[in-house]
Amino acid sequence: MNIPQFNFDSIRNSKFFVILESDYNLQANLFSFLIHFALFIFMIFSIQWQTKIPNFAEVELWDAVPTQIKNKQIKTKSVKTKQIKKTRVLPPKIDDQQLKLNEEAEIRLKKKKAAEKKALARKKKLKEIKKLQAKLLKQEEIEKLQDKVLEEEKLDNIKDKLLEQERIEQLQDSIRDDELKKKPTIAIEADKEVLAGINSGELDRFKALIQQKIQQNVNNQLCGLDRVELEFEISLMPTGDLLGEPKMTQSSKISSCDAAVERAILQSQPLPIPNDKELFKRLKDLKLKFHPNGHYDL
Amino acid sequence: MIYRMHSLFVGILLLFSTSIYSLEVIEILGGKASEIPIAILPFEGFKNIGGQKAHQIISSDLNRSGLFRPLNTSGISNPPSSDININYTKWSAMDAQFIVVGKVESENPILGNIKITWSLIDVFKEKTVISMRYIGKKSQYRAIAHKVSDNVYEYLTGSKGVFHTKIAYVKKVNNKKYSLNVADFDGYNSRPILDTTQPIISPRWSPDGEKIAYVSFEKKKPVIYIQNLRTGKRTLLANFKGNNSAPAWSPDSKKLAIVLTYNKNSQIYMINADGSGIKQLMRSNAINTEPSWSPNGEDIYFSSNRGGSPQIYKINILNDEISRVTFEGKYNLSPSISYDGKLLLFLTNDQGKFKVAIQNLISNQVLKISEGPADESPIFAPNGHLVLFTYKDYGKTTKIGTVSINGLKRLPINVGNAIIQEPTWGPITN
Repeated sequence: MNIPQFNFDSIRNSKFFVILESDYNLQANLFSFLIHFALFIFMIFSIQWQTKIPNFAEVELWDAVPTQIKNKQIKTKSVKTKQIKKTRVLPPKIDDQQLKLNEEAEIRLKKKKAAEKKALARKKKLKEIKKLQAKLLKQEEIEKLQDKVLEEEKLDNIKDKLLEQERIEQLQDSIRDDELKKKPTIAIEADKEVLAGINSGELDRFKALIQQKIQQNVNNQLCGLDRVELEFEISLMPTGDLLGEPKMTQSSKISSCDAAVERAILQSQPLPIPNDKELFKRLKDLKLKFHPNGHYDL
Repeated sequence: MIYRMHSLFVGILLLFSTSIYSLEVIEILGGKASEIPIAILPFEGFKNIGGQKAHQIISSDLNRSGLFRPLNTSGISNPPSSDININYTKWSAMDAQFIVVGKVESENPILGNIKITWSLIDVFKEKTVISMRYIGKKSQYRAIAHKVSDNVYEYLTGSKGVFHTKIAYVKKVNNKKYSLNVADFDGYNSRPILDTTQPIISPRWSPDGEKIAYVSFEKKKPVIYIQNLRTGKRTLLANFKGNNSAPAWSPDSKKLAIVLTYNKNSQIYMINADGSGIKQLMRSNAINTEPSWSPNGEDIYFSSNRGGSPQIYKINILNDEISRVTFEGKYNLSPSISYDGKLLLFLTNDQGKFKVAIQNLISNQVLKISEGPADESPIFAPNGHLVLFTYKDYGKTTKIGTVSINGLKRLPINVGNAIIQEPTWGPITN
């Protein structure tokens, strides 16, 4: 019986072996690809697992939550990890089925207890969150209420101001009427003339009267020799008296001159003003421009 | 979008512009040279020290300035001595814009010191604007009152007061005795610093307040001396051939302009205060005299007949440029410049009467501030608000007096019955 003998060299040199050799490269490539793929899948899974962490992070954000809750949360986390570890560590026993069942029951119980604990913790957490939410809601409500109160206060203030303004206007009207009754001055004559309404002639006339009265009181001896200019703004009451103090808007840069002009304005009270309401409105607020040394008078 | 923004911007501008134009504007040109009505109330405490009352001294000072009108407060019973419980309505009704209250207390009875506490109150604003306290010897009572006047004056006019300054003048008794006297600005506390039998003219106080230069005839001709006021020591500044006259100090008190007749005609020279470095400033056939240094130290004003009749000219000592300053009037002389360099004071012949006149060097307008007929030697107060000059009392005795630069307030300075002439005003010192 002829037993065929293998000639390794011939096999090695055969085409088949060459193909086989090239197949090894292919396999190696495939294997490395699979490994990389598996790693890639693992990475994805690991990322997906990590993406669950923000759930915990969300809990961490509750700064107002009592520290107890935070600790419990951490504890539940550790229990969970222990549980996972135990399930992995326990060796499966094929021989003693009863023992296995008992152990499984214990594991289930533990699991159940852990789950219950977890559930309790969750419930507590939820309660706290609800409490917090309630608090927040209350705070929001308080803020809303405060806003409302503030708005109401503002409205009240505005109303008060408007009322006061009305009252002042009424008072000014009554003062004007009283003055009219007491001393029939130039203003009355002017009134008669301007019954038809405001005319620029009347406006200019009263401006000239005011100019004349103030100019007489300007002591230009206190304004040096140079050409100086200064400006004041005044508000008048219907009596011709000043409402508040004169406001200097441009200084002569000579303090004695500024003061002298201010005194001249104060001294000129009451200023001649019309009794016509519309005309008075035009003269109520005035800008006074002074040129005490208008010409180089000694 | 840009167009919309532009239109919005224009709209806002229009809104503002309408609000600006809605305010009526009144132009007030010029004013009136008026006096500030002020009530100076009798000070509580010492009624008077040596026959002097503080409130009267202050009233007199402020009245002389021509800028204040002290109100008569003699009939007021129980005047306030502090700024507490001031009845502003009452003072306002009396036309007072300001009131001065104060009290005099004994500070140290052993040393004889006094304490004056005083306040200036603004009646319009109903508030105290100055509140001060002075402590000094009883002999300084007048000086303290003058300081109060200075404080009030400076607060209300913005210029330094001259009520604590000194003047000097020549006193002539029976044409035989002459003395150079120094006194308070109002003539009080007069004392001689030089007594001589020869005439003294043209005393001039140095701007640093240390010395007085004057012309003496001790050497049988006019020569210039400088006398130190601290030591009393005097030095001969100029004793050149001919007449030596009209000394005028430079603003830094280091030089003087003087007049010499070295070459026949009166000519102006410049000389150092120690007598060295004499230099002729101009050469002319005309008379050039009465120099007066301007505060910038560059111009010297002087009188000259180079144009025919006496007029005021000035020379710039840096470039020797000469220009005429006065054109109004045919006879102007004795120039003096205010301490801000804006006013020229001089003597003018107005239809045979010699009067004091002021020319505004900015506008060149001239105002005669005295009546004449024989006024002389005008000189500015160190703040330029008053003028000291001599006048003939009823045409007989020569006296000195002050006049405000607006010519409205002329008052004599009482220094006795002797002939008083050639005054000069000392600087403001601390």
